[in-house]
Amino acid sequence: MSVIVSSLEQRIRADNLKESPLSTQEYFVNMGPQHPSTHGVLRMVVKLDGETVREVIPVLGYIHRGIEKMGESFGYRQFVHMTDRIDYLSALINNWAVSMTVEKAAKIELNDRIQIIRTIMAELQRIQSHQLWWGVFGMDMGAFTPFLYGFRDREIITDIFEETIGARLTMNYIQPGGLMFDIHPNFQKRVKDFLKYFKPKLEEYETLLSGNVILQERVRNVGIMDAKTAISIGATGPVLRASGVKHDLRKLDPYGVYDKVDFDVPVGRIGDCWDRYWVRIEEIKQSMRIVEQLIDNIPEGKTMLMKPAVKIKLPEGTYYSQVETPRGVLGVFVVSDGKDKPYRIHLRTPNFNNIWSITEMSSNWRLGDLVAMLSSLDVVVPDIDR
Amino acid sequence: MEIKFKTLVAPEIKRGCLMGNMFNALGSLWKGMKITIYYLTHPSTVVTQQYPENRETLKMMDRFRAQLTMAHDENGHHTCTACGICDQNCPNGSINVVDRKNPITGKKELDRYIWRMDSCTFCNICVQVCPFGTLEMKGNFEASVYDRRLFVYTLNKYAGPDQKNLLKIENLDDRKKQMESRDIFGGPVPLSGQSIAGLEAGVFDQLRKTEEAATNG
Repeated sequence: MSVIVSSLEQRIRADNLKESPLSTQEYFVNMGPQHPSTHGVLRMVVKLDGETVREVIPVLGYIHRGIEKMGESFGYRQFVHMTDRIDYLSALINNWAVSMTVEKAAKIELNDRIQIIRTIMAELQRIQSHQLWWGVFGMDMGAFTPFLYGFRDREIITDIFEETIGARLTMNYIQPGGLMFDIHPNFQKRVKDFLKYFKPKLEEYETLLSGNVILQERVRNVGIMDAKTAISIGATGPVLRASGVKHDLRKLDPYGVYDKVDFDVPVGRIGDCWDRYWVRIEEIKQSMRIVEQLIDNIPEGKTMLMKPAVKIKLPEGTYYSQVETPRGVLGVFVVSDGKDKPYRIHLRTPNFNNIWSITEMSSNWRLGDLVAMLSSLDVVVPDIDR
Repeated sequence: MEIKFKTLVAPEIKRGCLMGNMFNALGSLWKGMKITIYYLTHPSTVVTQQYPENRETLKMMDRFRAQLTMAHDENGHHTCTACGICDQNCPNGSINVVDRKNPITGKKELDRYIWRMDSCTFCNICVQVCPFGTLEMKGNFEASVYDRRLFVYTLNKYAGPDQKNLLKIENLDDRKKQMESRDIFGGPVPLSGQSIAGLEAGVFDQLRKTEEAATNG
């Protein structure tokens, strides 16, 4: 029996199949859905040659809850609390995205107080999301201490949220027409205390992990993705910026009061894991700058402009709005048929696009580097599946 | 498109010579270790709370949302009129407002206010939409129970007219007659007077007491 071998890949493979003490064979290994470094229930089928990764196929659907479909049976106000559960580390920003779509459609003009409080909350949320990512990134690289330090400092922000909002993770605070509550009297003091406390801690982060030689050797020049690939995949957020693309919705399509505050956008140089790490660390600093500028300038005003018990009806048509979450662009697309429930809601979530960059960047790296790459993407799995 | 905003570009980490790299590597490890040793030797920096031990002193934030309660005034009257707005607005059907007709006056009044904690997402919409300020979220976060039927609460303590209508009745005895007592776990779905396997007799009285203590203070 003769085997017809045509392509080069097949020929190499055929050679490998020959009996030899040194021959290797490609094989498939499931990474996940219960792997600690996939941060949830992401399953990746990895094609391995020895320890070298040849191909990665992400398999989705293990935490699919049909949130978009559920949106068709909720009112607009009720749908907001579902968005807490897509990307749970940016619950407030997700709430904002839906609220913004509804406000745009219903033509509601918000006052400065609402806009500024929303911006402060969103930036605090961005800081706490990056803190958690930093801790988990350290843990994936084999250092457990950063995880504890990241959670210790994140606790202060969740306490701030708890005092004003009453919840720590699934907040449902930013609602169509305003905010659920006014800020707590202690809010400004607590935020200022946090900024004062966290600045030296961030330097500590840099010394502990960023300057560490083991981390640098594991992330530098690993998982390089150029700008063209990143754009073609549709990656957004720090993943896209690390590849050197100057794209930030807070600057390009300003919402809230981002056009009135002064902040810089960090971008990477070559798009390796180190750039993605550095971009996020730098974003924490920039977010702190934004909060610092706004925290003393909260004007007086109402915090809710719509009656909460009245059903929201949007005029017939399609509406889209997008925000920059800690992981990228979250777009909310609403098709309304004039009733109090949306005809269709679509969520363009950042992680769904970002995860596919792992297929591009991971080939011919080792399995250990795959963990570093996945961690540097900052994947939140419920956001992929929603 | 012209990019107008300021950007920061990631710094390049340069590799030096072999010996330099080695000393830098050792230096970086030592710097990191210094931080962990600092925290090891300074117990004042510990932020961990010893949870079950500090239950007495642990105070939740005022607005913490962990349990839905119905406010009763000092006479034990609530302000719920069984209008059902919270029922309509609840996104996951956790609230069921059962109304009835008053046997004497024939007016609509609250029979049972059933709240299912097991399907509640604590979104706070019910509290927001209530026109009478009847509902509030309390911070009793220790919600675990032995049987899931204990997640179905009856929030009102009596079936009868609301505060406004009760205060119109001047005779205290007549007022009492209008208020038919309701049990916190006595709703139509759960227990229905049954006992739960594995739990000792009298456990409900105890549960009720802890529940009442939690909701009152």
